[in-house]
Amino acid sequence: MKKLKLTIEGMHCASCASNVEKSLKKVKGVKEVTVSVMTHKGFVEADDSTSEEEMKNAVSRAGFKVVEVRVE
Amino acid sequence: MAEEKSIEEREIASWKRKLIGSWVLTVPIMLIMYSGMVFGLSLVPMKWMPIVLLVLAFPVIFIFGWQTIKAGMRGLVTFYFNMDSLIALGTVIAYITGFLHFFGLTQDYSGVSSMIMSIFVTGKYIESRARGRASSEIRKLLELGAKKARVLRGKEEIEIPISDVKVGDVMIVKPGEKIPTDGVVVREESSVDESMVTGESLPVDKTKGGNVIGATVNQDGVLYIKATKVGKDTFLANIIKLVEEAQGTKVPIQKVADKITSVFVPIILMLAVLTFVNWMIFTQDVSRSIGVAIAVLVIACPCSLGLATPIALMVGSGMGAKRGILIRKGEAIQTMKEVKTIVFDKTGTITKGKPEVVDVYTVGKIKKDYLLETAASLEKLSEHPIARAIVSFVDGKKLKEVKKFKILRGRGLQGEIGKKKIVIGNQTLMKEQKILVKGIEAKIGEFEEDGKTTIIVSENGKVIGAIAVADAVKEDSLEAVKKLNDSGYKTVMITGDNERTALAIAKQVGIKYTIANVLPGDKAKKVEELQKSGMVAFVGDGINDAPALKQANVGIAMGTGTDIAIEAGDIVLAKGSLMGVVQAINLSRATFGKIKQNLFWVFAYNVVAIPLAVAGLLHPVIAEIAMAASSITVVGNANLLRRRKI
Repeated sequence: MKKLKLTIEGMHCASCASNVEKSLKKVKGVKEVTVSVMTHKGFVEADDSTSEEEMKNAVSRAGFKVVEVRVE
Repeated sequence: MAEEKSIEEREIASWKRKLIGSWVLTVPIMLIMYSGMVFGLSLVPMKWMPIVLLVLAFPVIFIFGWQTIKAGMRGLVTFYFNMDSLIALGTVIAYITGFLHFFGLTQDYSGVSSMIMSIFVTGKYIESRARGRASSEIRKLLELGAKKARVLRGKEEIEIPISDVKVGDVMIVKPGEKIPTDGVVVREESSVDESMVTGESLPVDKTKGGNVIGATVNQDGVLYIKATKVGKDTFLANIIKLVEEAQGTKVPIQKVADKITSVFVPIILMLAVLTFVNWMIFTQDVSRSIGVAIAVLVIACPCSLGLATPIALMVGSGMGAKRGILIRKGEAIQTMKEVKTIVFDKTGTITKGKPEVVDVYTVGKIKKDYLLETAASLEKLSEHPIARAIVSFVDGKKLKEVKKFKILRGRGLQGEIGKKKIVIGNQTLMKEQKILVKGIEAKIGEFEEDGKTTIIVSENGKVIGAIAVADAVKEDSLEAVKKLNDSGYKTVMITGDNERTALAIAKQVGIKYTIANVLPGDKAKKVEELQKSGMVAFVGDGINDAPALKQANVGIAMGTGTDIAIEAGDIVLAKGSLMGVVQAINLSRATFGKIKQNLFWVFAYNVVAIPLAVAGLLHPVIAEIAMAASSITVVGNANLLRRRKI
């Protein structure tokens, strides 16, 4: 299990955040996601094998950009 | 951390650019459209007007509004609908009517499309500014840390970036300077203003051996501080982490709003189509039907619905952070409202947690020194706060060697000194070991009436004396408990002390109910019992009381001043004052109240506004103004929380 903090740019409304959540939850290995439109942060709990690249893609599918990934 | 600030700033700057650009074109559009209507002038010949409008509106929609159009259209294609989808659809349809107009199919709404986009952008600009204000306290927290440190390398003082400071470095901090990172004072003394991280308003004196927190400000003397924690281990870094993570947690009341938000946009899209179809059927007026459908698209405000809760939580937790009250879980502010009973741990929560020896009593011809030395010899091997109090009281005296030492958890200690068997502890232990306390019962009673904890010392099965230890009550415990009692909470104290001692302390601070003789492991069980008659908040230190904090509906963990208990507790108090509990309750109530208020207004707005739009009573421009106003109101209202006194 790993915990990641994503900084996401471009979200300006709550439905944006819920779209990012939905999109990230579809990534294989992702267990728990919370995205805050207020802090531009997404907290992801996922299996160790989960690809960061796929998470980034998931965020861009929802229309936004990951500018930083930090492992907690 | 630097990029965090720039995201906010970049967003505000970008909305501002769009705002200026779109109005520069929209103002002429409005003049052209309404000059005829209002002043009877026509600035542009009627024939040219549609073309001029299309040309002027194009950049507004497709340059300044491009980001919105792009995101919205993408949402429509990928089914990740968002509020941009509504605005994009509304403005693009309105713009297209400008072309359809040439074929006499409909009225020209292209000017209107430009106005809608400009108002939308304006709303977003104001909202992003207000959101910046809402997160200002948290941003300040991020910027609080020192940038540089002056450290001693050999005999030289050099200035290095904070990131280069290592554990063990000795830092020199002059008066008025920020302490670069957490550490312990190794030379000199001073007082330190810790208000920025603990909310403690009075400067705290620091002498050699004292712990200091990074980012606090040294007041009047030069301090030499050895760094003990750096980077993400520091007190400040922990606070920031707590506050940031809390923003990702959900307040239960938000769930309804979130559910609605996620289906809101598709529903509005369908509603817009239905509205259009219905209006066509009943009026056969294409222009009117399009106008009404656009109004429906742009009036719906999913954004404020989704923002109502997190924005208030953000303002609330920012206000808390400033005062050393860290809300870890959004849920806590909602649960707090239901809490009826507040349970306090005694040691370290109501009291200072630093017991001192206040009285020594010996039996017969036993000398005080002998009693204390005997006791301290055993107590030295224990980590218990009471043990430490006795050991430090006897400091400097010669201690004896102890064999067969054993800790009897929650009751006392035993061991052998020479050939003598020593048992030290409370009355329960004496009873267990069949040691008669008859001779000193009166004395014990006297100690306990005063709220002193009595440690009985026995040698070869006979009592030789007793040591009274007292843990002073924190200065503001009385005031805090009084406030809670006055607000109608049931206040309960839980302790391992015996009944009489416990009652004496409870009486001192005004606590109504006491649960005494509780072994450390049983606190959670007692909390569970209390929960049968309503929700319980437990206040304790995060280290020993973790199970009870978790068991309680709301766990309030008390910091010790330099350490914060992160893992347990839904709310963490950075400073060890009970007034923090009162403040945390007030803050939770105020924040939750604001959330409810926000949700009410947002629901009310949508429930009233959408039917009005469907009924064709609102011009698209009016609809957009209403929408922008509603989302600005939510953010503005959340900012009003700041005015509440906590």
